[in-house]
Amino acid sequence: MPTRPRFVSVTPTADTTALLSLRDVTITHLESDTPTPSRVSFDVRPGEVVLLLGPSGSGKSTLALAMNGLVPHAVPATVEGTVRVAGQDAATATVADLATTVGMVFQDPDAQLITGTLLDEVAFGPENLALPVDSVLARAETALRRMGLWERRHDSPDTLSGGGRQRLAIACALAMGSPVLVLDEPTANLDPRGVDDVYAALRDVVAEGDRAIVLVEHNLDAAVGLIDRVIVLDGGGCLVADGSVDAVLRERAEELHALGVWLPAATLAALRLRRTGLPFPRLPLTPAELRADLAGREVPGVASLPRPSTRRDSAPLVRVAGLRAARGRTPVLHDIDLEITAGEFVAVVGANGAGKTTLVQTIAGVLRPPRGAVRIGGVDVRRTDPRTLARHVGFVFQNPEHQFIATTVFDEIAHGLRRQRLGDDEVRRRTDELLARFGLADRADVHPFLLSGGQKRRLSVGTALVGGAPLLVLDEPTFGQDRARADELLSLLDDLRAAGTTIVVVTHDMQVVAEHADRVVVVDEGRITADGPVADVFADEAVLARAGLRPPPLREAFAGVPGFSTVVRLRDLPGGDA
Amino acid sequence: MAPASVLSTRVLLVCAAIGVGTGILGGAAGWLTLAVLAGAPWAYGLVLGSHVLPGIIAQQVVRRPWVALVTHVLAALVASAMAPQWTFRFLGTALLIGGIQEGVAALTRYRVWAPARFFISAVIVGVVIAVPVWFAGDIASLAPLARVAAVAISILGPVAWTAVGLGIGSGLRGAGVARGLSTPR
Amino acid sequence: MTTATSPPRTGALADLNPLAKFAAPAPAMIALVFVRDLATPAVFLCLAYAVLLLGARLPPRALGILVGVIPLAVVIVGVGFAVWVDPARVEGTPELVRIGGWSLTLGAAEIGLATGLRLAAIMALAFIGGLTTAGEDLVRSLVQQLRVPYRIGYAALAALRFVPRFGHELAVIRQAHRVRGARGGVLSAPARWAGYVVPLLAGAIRHAERVALAMDARAFGARPDRTERHLVPWRRRDTGFVVVFWAASVAVFLVVLPL
Ligand SMILES: Nc1ncnc2c1ncn2[C@@H]1O[C@H](COP(=O)(O)OP(=O)(O)OP(=O)(O)O)[C@@H](O)[C@H]1O
Ligand SMILES: Nc1ncnc2c1ncn2[C@@H]1O[C@H](COP(=O)(O)OP(=O)(O)OP(=O)(O)O)[C@@H](O)[C@H]1O
Ligand SMILES: [Mg+2]
Ligand SMILES: [Mg+2]
Repeated sequence: MPTRPRFVSVTPTADTTALLSLRDVTITHLESDTPTPSRVSFDVRPGEVVLLLGPSGSGKSTLALAMNGLVPHAVPATVEGTVRVAGQDAATATVADLATTVGMVFQDPDAQLITGTLLDEVAFGPENLALPVDSVLARAETALRRMGLWERRHDSPDTLSGGGRQRLAIACALAMGSPVLVLDEPTANLDPRGVDDVYAALRDVVAEGDRAIVLVEHNLDAAVGLIDRVIVLDGGGCLVADGSVDAVLRERAEELHALGVWLPAATLAALRLRRTGLPFPRLPLTPAELRADLAGREVPGVASLPRPSTRRDSAPLVRVAGLRAARGRTPVLHDIDLEITAGEFVAVVGANGAGKTTLVQTIAGVLRPPRGAVRIGGVDVRRTDPRTLARHVGFVFQNPEHQFIATTVFDEIAHGLRRQRLGDDEVRRRTDELLARFGLADRADVHPFLLSGGQKRRLSVGTALVGGAPLLVLDEPTFGQDRARADELLSLLDDLRAAGTTIVVVTHDMQVVAEHADRVVVVDEGRITADGPVADVFADEAVLARAGLRPPPLREAFAGVPGFSTVVRLRDLPGGDA
Repeated sequence: MAPASVLSTRVLLVCAAIGVGTGILGGAAGWLTLAVLAGAPWAYGLVLGSHVLPGIIAQQVVRRPWVALVTHVLAALVASAMAPQWTFRFLGTALLIGGIQEGVAALTRYRVWAPARFFISAVIVGVVIAVPVWFAGDIASLAPLARVAAVAISILGPVAWTAVGLGIGSGLRGAGVARGLSTPR
Repeated sequence: MTTATSPPRTGALADLNPLAKFAAPAPAMIALVFVRDLATPAVFLCLAYAVLLLGARLPPRALGILVGVIPLAVVIVGVGFAVWVDPARVEGTPELVRIGGWSLTLGAAEIGLATGLRLAAIMALAFIGGLTTAGEDLVRSLVQQLRVPYRIGYAALAALRFVPRFGHELAVIRQAHRVRGARGGVLSAPARWAGYVVPLLAGAIRHAERVALAMDARAFGARPDRTERHLVPWRRRDTGFVVVFWAASVAVFLVVLPL
């Protein structure tokens, strides 16, 4: 049984050598009644690499912004307690002054671009400090070289890949000369190759040892090799753990798991196996450690659960034949053939720009396919008007806000029913029913834009479903969301699928694919390069590598372990719901 | 005080975002001008009236000094990038209309944001732009009925567009945009 | 439509200070608003064309505007405007065309043509700056010469960068609304477009707020001045260009304008 999270109430005395020093920091956003974070104290010293963990809404981003004074100087909020940045009180210093100590990298690479070329972008910070031109250029060159971007200095940042743009953002922070680097989920929007790219760059920075790093990250599998200290907030924004990786991630893993914080896949697997009586004196954090722990041990058999069977014999629900598509004048899809059977859960994966969005949008009729190329339930998507099409397929856009057309949550759902010319009572009954099912009943009169991120996503799924379509297509539904919300959505999808809905999902998260899908379609440069059951596709390393993908961490962990080599899902492991 | 020092980066960039949206509309209005002058010169006021939008939306979303003028100038720059032939017209109307909207707001010491206040500035804008419309469109040479229509529409155009702008601004407030920007410091 | 970001970087005009290119034709443009004859706008139209064609190597689209759009505008505005001219003013001038009860007189056609030419001349003069200047350079010269606060200058640069993003977002929102089955048809088009406005602006404002945080985090606005690596100087040739252009404008008005 995990121990209850304890409050750590040690308040170390102020440390004058600390770069960052937080004492009893409590932050309340404007128009919010509960403070997140709440009474948080810690120090960051030169050279440390600190991971800040916590469930969604615990105040990690807020705390990160407070570290250079953006909260409260740029984002309206009340800050109690003190934040000291290299000895300066953040409450009285200007953000511009603090910026020379704390550099920031945010989640969305596009929202950090200000100028037209890489060089101008990196020079922007030093220019603001009114440094002489020579030293601006010198700093820019050093920072760009460290991130491996110097050769591309005259290019527009728009031509970089997502990972490249995040490396540019790191270069910009380095050029400020700040001894502390704060990164808030720097890889949330990237494909697997982009994530590797960013972490390779960060490893270089750490290797030089001249900066302290504070990292907010959900993707622990990528981060765990880099960090040496972990700070954990609970749902209420209180500090519950602060210590070395061993002391927190390994020793208090059960506790963190109970908090809803995501852990490395190898750790989760070990927690699960531990339930079956298999001892793990020291929990593994990486696939290699897990493999080492399991080597030569007697392991209970793997109860590889059968995946829900699909009726292969029935006629396919979706039939794509010889599909070509172009964006503007560039051909994006070449000769795609694809069949999807009713009741399947299909994941579409591939690198950024491979054509996944184009493929699923063409299938759902968001982009118009050529005649006869796409049929859903026998009807030609090209020749069907949107109203009829809505009864065959529902599409969920990456950004739910794009798709909202009404001013209340209720009307948003009711819109789809009214279009079917149902009576008012019927519309009300079915809308209330759906809102209740999605946990939105108490938000019925709220403007859709005022919902939380997770609620917005559920509402957008609801709008796509309400037409009664047997096929639901979702474009990166877990994009930019934390684990808790992603899991909530994915179990919703599992339920829908159990009730007979066919589901197609585009995603970059291979573990999501492994856990939920039964079939994977790999898109690479506009062609389908692999299509088959999840286990088979993930076993084919060559195809994955060519498409810029990597197998899910669990598979990596169990590769070559006797009796486990087919495991890709947590639920394949014995040990119940770990 | 220089406007830049009372405007935070956040306010400035929110103005930029509103300026882009309305500036694109302004650029489109610029190209539409030719069609209107060819087809119905007396309706020119309706096109010119759309230039009130940047300030109205900005003041409705961000209730602070200077936002109307700044948003107008940014919108004019964006519109000029789209329809470079009207750079002067865009900058001129931006300074004129933005100035009037700032002036009316300043007279109420940035405390009154009732719709009536916006319509007062709309009527003033209408009267003031009727003059350039008269000369630039050579309204004097038109048939009497068209002349009356031209003057009436010059005044009604800004009023109608003000109503549109208020609607958009309220929609944005309803969507919870730019919270915390309206509290005066 | 020209893009703000990729102007032609060749030709003598491209090397002038943007402000010079806008200041030089300004007096003539303002005066043209009050002119009513045919010859003055025609001369200025030719002058502007000469400056543009000799002074800049224009991209095809800009040439298309000069060769296609402007002449077409003269004709269409000329004819269209003539229709609305007060018949009483042009009584006694010979009839050119008669359709049913309506007739186009020479006087009306002249007023129409004058209006068309006047507009064309004003537009062509504005193109001297408009088609040969990058939006970024214009903003920089506003900051460097006219002392516009650099914070506003950067807001303007950010605005120019938001433009393509806006177009992309609009396309996505339109698709999304179509899939949701927002009503089709011509009659409901205004309602449909109204439905795009709030999501579009709300998205743009949220994005702008995030960009603002990123700028503040990099010490934007730290000092009253910031290092400027891209200088847009005002040189002797800029003064020369403005003076010569003003002199030419005065000369045209003195010689051509009937008093
Ligand atoms: N600008 C804001 N105005 C009002 N409330 C806010 C604002 N930003 C965040 N909040 C609220 O403050 C709380 C903490 O948010 P924060 O973004 O810091 O959480 P987080 O730990 O970073 O979560 P996530 O993992 O989802 O990124 C949440 O309840 C959130 O709704
Ligand atoms: N609206 C558009 N106009 C022009 N080209 C586009 C457009 N949208 C996408 N493209 C291009 O088409 C190609 C495929 O894009 P698509 O969005 O389908 O890729 P994706 O696999 O979904 O990538 P991501 O993982 O980044 O979402 C890319 O090269 C992209 O640059
Ligand atoms: Mg966060
Ligand atoms: Mg995509």
